[in-house]
Amino acid sequence: MARFTVNGASVTVEKNQKLIRYLRDELHLTSVKDGCSEGACGACTVIIDGETCRACTPFTDSLDGKHIITVEGLSDYEQKLYTYAYGEAGAVQCGFCIPGMVMCTKALLDKNPDPTEEEIRYALRNNYCRCTGYVKIIAAVKLAAQIRRSGAPIPAASETDWKLGSSVHRLDVEEKVLGYGKYPDDWYLDGMVYGSAVRSKYARARVLSIDTSKAKALDGVIGVFTAEDIPAEGVNKIGHLEKDQYTLIPVGGLTHYLGDAVALVAAKDQETLEKAKKLVRVEYEVLPVVNGPESAMAPDAPCVFEEKEDNIQAHKHVSRGDASGAIARSKYVLSRHYETPWTEHAFLEPECCVSYIDDDGDVMLLTTDQSSHTTLHECTALLGNHKVKVENQLIGGGFGGKEDMSVQHHAALLTYLTGLPVKVKLSRAESLLIHPKRHPFWMDFTIGCDENGIIQGVKAKVYSDTGAFASLGGPVLERACTHAAGPYAYENFEIEGTAYYTNNPPAGAFRGFGVTQTCFAMESLLNEMADMVGISPWEIRYRNAIRPGGVLPNGQIVGAETGLVETLEAVREEYEAALAAGKPVGLACAMKNAGVGVGIPDWGRCKLVVEDDGKLHIYSGASCIGQGLGTVLVQMIVTNTKLCRDQIVYERSNTWIAPDSGDTSGSRQTLVTGEACRRACEKFNAAYTGNLRDLIGREFVGEYLAKTDPLGADIPNPVSHVAYGYATQVCILDAKTGMIEKMIAAHDVGKAVNPRACEGQIEGGVVMSMGYALRERYPIDKDTCKPIDKYGSLGLFRSHELPEIEAIVVDKPGLDVACGAIGIGEITAIPTAPAIADAYFRLNGERQTSLPLHNTPYERKW
Amino acid sequence: MAVKKRFPYRAAFVACNGGCRADCPYGCIACGACVDACKFGAVSLNEHGVAEVDEDKCIACGACVRKCPQGIISLHDCANSIAVKCANKAAGKEARSQCEVSCIGCGICEKICTAGAIKVTENLSVIDERYCLSCGQCAVKCPRHAIYDLRGVLTEKR
Repeated sequence: MARFTVNGASVTVEKNQKLIRYLRDELHLTSVKDGCSEGACGACTVIIDGETCRACTPFTDSLDGKHIITVEGLSDYEQKLYTYAYGEAGAVQCGFCIPGMVMCTKALLDKNPDPTEEEIRYALRNNYCRCTGYVKIIAAVKLAAQIRRSGAPIPAASETDWKLGSSVHRLDVEEKVLGYGKYPDDWYLDGMVYGSAVRSKYARARVLSIDTSKAKALDGVIGVFTAEDIPAEGVNKIGHLEKDQYTLIPVGGLTHYLGDAVALVAAKDQETLEKAKKLVRVEYEVLPVVNGPESAMAPDAPCVFEEKEDNIQAHKHVSRGDASGAIARSKYVLSRHYETPWTEHAFLEPECCVSYIDDDGDVMLLTTDQSSHTTLHECTALLGNHKVKVENQLIGGGFGGKEDMSVQHHAALLTYLTGLPVKVKLSRAESLLIHPKRHPFWMDFTIGCDENGIIQGVKAKVYSDTGAFASLGGPVLERACTHAAGPYAYENFEIEGTAYYTNNPPAGAFRGFGVTQTCFAMESLLNEMADMVGISPWEIRYRNAIRPGGVLPNGQIVGAETGLVETLEAVREEYEAALAAGKPVGLACAMKNAGVGVGIPDWGRCKLVVEDDGKLHIYSGASCIGQGLGTVLVQMIVTNTKLCRDQIVYERSNTWIAPDSGDTSGSRQTLVTGEACRRACEKFNAAYTGNLRDLIGREFVGEYLAKTDPLGADIPNPVSHVAYGYATQVCILDAKTGMIEKMIAAHDVGKAVNPRACEGQIEGGVVMSMGYALRERYPIDKDTCKPIDKYGSLGLFRSHELPEIEAIVVDKPGLDVACGAIGIGEITAIPTAPAIADAYFRLNGERQTSLPLHNTPYERKW
Repeated sequence: MAVKKRFPYRAAFVACNGGCRADCPYGCIACGACVDACKFGAVSLNEHGVAEVDEDKCIACGACVRKCPQGIISLHDCANSIAVKCANKAAGKEARSQCEVSCIGCGICEKICTAGAIKVTENLSVIDERYCLSCGQCAVKCPRHAIYDLRGVLTEKR
């Protein structure tokens, strides 16, 4: 037992437990976010006697007499101050790390009202943020300190007109800074029970029997379920495109990786749940694993899926012109082998779903995922078209890792079978194992150039490890292949790619979607080629750059909005100045599609409804995973109608009012849903005469099909994607220390909807890929196919390790949809690694062809 | 004396908590060499007869580190508040008999560390401050109370 105070109120805690459990589960102080419960992430940071402390570390009994403060306990002034400062600086994206960051801010400023930038970085350095790259959080702390010192009243937002191009505060700043905005885990429903899966003990084994009797007999256990309990006959496998992800492995079935679920348990509390899971007895026949593409492609390899003939998950071949011939005729030819590693998304919020039976008798799912409608399709199939509803809650980051079903289908099944409200949440260790990762790639590239460095042809062969189920392995491979050519104008290109099933954790979507991998190969090769030709890496790109009206290697004629050259020009002065100063400098470019493309029907849909409150409510089945879609849509409406901000309400994505607007994937929502929203505005404008109350009950629906041609379409100039973003990034090293002095990232975004939010995307992408280039890893044990690392040892960058990052937003008009806005989500993370690799080559003369780079000060020796 | 220190602050750290009940050959012997070496009055012997550093006064010059005959003083990053206050390299049973609060090299800290920042080397827990996230999970779990939160939040201050 212990007595202490929480936000000024005395409490007596009888049961000794982790502080986080008491604050969240008993006091429901849900600003204290549970990101890992193992001390890694910092999202649960509170202040104890003036010092920051993770709430997941101390037991309550050790806190007798102490004083604990959470965000809920900040004074009114502090709440307003931090809301303003974080909003003005653009520091909030997914928001899951933010209450912890706010606690660090307060603890720092209480002790040190005028901190230096370095002191701020140190104050935040034990808290991870995966979205922002910390830059704007540091700026927010600086701003808060300045206002606090001055004693001046908290100012009004500097930009308030909410039109496109205005850096307004995001609409979700307050709920995220103060922590009252709800992620699924923040729901505590009456009578709610807890659900979890018993995972396979072996990556590849046959399940011989499952004995649930002991678990069922445990007091407090509501139910234990196996594949036999799945209601829809013959349905067990789900999946985005290919239905090869087992909901539960049946008796007699093969397991595919350590994350495969064998049984589902529901229990009245989390402790009973963990006990019950251990009581489920499963007998296995252990089989040899397929631990990587090499063993998957061996002639005598066992099949990961016994229902298939081999381990090939996808095979793509893209060819235009005559690459072999063009290379043979080239003056300069280079061939290299490249490798890129697995990468973990490491979003701050682990997967969680809360489900219950609603008043209509439907299974209602409160989710954190990248499409409520995808979740609906998967879960209705599993429940045999039982009525299901899905509503997104706040989503604590995704980056591609929340496109697949992880907990939603299990929660739906448990609620369907028990009739009870259920929370299914992955532990951080489960999260690291279960959601699909970035594919590791093995790549052989050959490039041929003429005497002026003009690319004549490129030929490549790549393969990837797609792990234990398809997820989006096929499309990732396709995008890797279609973008491998780079943003250059040449005709002869050929690539062949293969993705292999293995017993490793699955690989799927990850910011960049295959392009992060092939871009590293192509751009590294181009840097080496520039040296061979005797021109600068900048010059070789400037000479080959795709320009408006030019033809990409995939045959597409690009539009007037194409801004690669502008991004090159934007960095030129600093690039040349650094070269002239003798600094090691690296450079790389990239292109990335906005929209799914390649002939797949890609619909954006948006419904504007005037509700009884006399306001226009935005309903779109499009998830905001932290990028700021709600703010984008409101800015789109303010620009395209006569309404002002206060007349508009953004509603979270759901499946019963909001029309399906596709996954948040492929940098598509700003453009595709943005255009649908603009079209809805046109319909609204035709009806609006100056008073919203006249329109109560009216709906205005906008739809937009981003129409493209299929891969390999037999037409001269197929449109693979409706638009591309372009970028140039530069890495400047300090030659003495070998540290990165500065990263410059110039991005062509068409029309920047909210320039500060754009910068935030760029900074976050650059820092994420600094990790990819320099340190992050996701090692997997070869014998057991078990991931080895924990969240804190993945090698993610921390706030005190960052160089200066200059984000340059290049506006280039010309795109005739979505008011010219092109998505920026993924491209920010694409050219970073080859730019950094080239800078280190300029420093130490070693050309590295695999990531993460070694022999840098950032390298971690494990 | 007021000394301008350069951020990030570093300070000397004594890896002994003075729980000695037999002859621990590894810990502080209260010789006072460090106290004499310090020009800033930052080192003193506490009631257990163990050297202790006042981080506010210490400028991390390293004089005490060089003078310590036991080699148990090192410089550490003040922002890292989690530290192993023990230098005992004896195997478990022996380490246990030598001191009430000795590290016995059980490895619980290494196993629980999310950052992979702890390695048990020569029966002694060693935290690599470059990777430590100062979460304190190791301090809370240490069955020997050999790992401390120097701020006094998660453990007693000493």
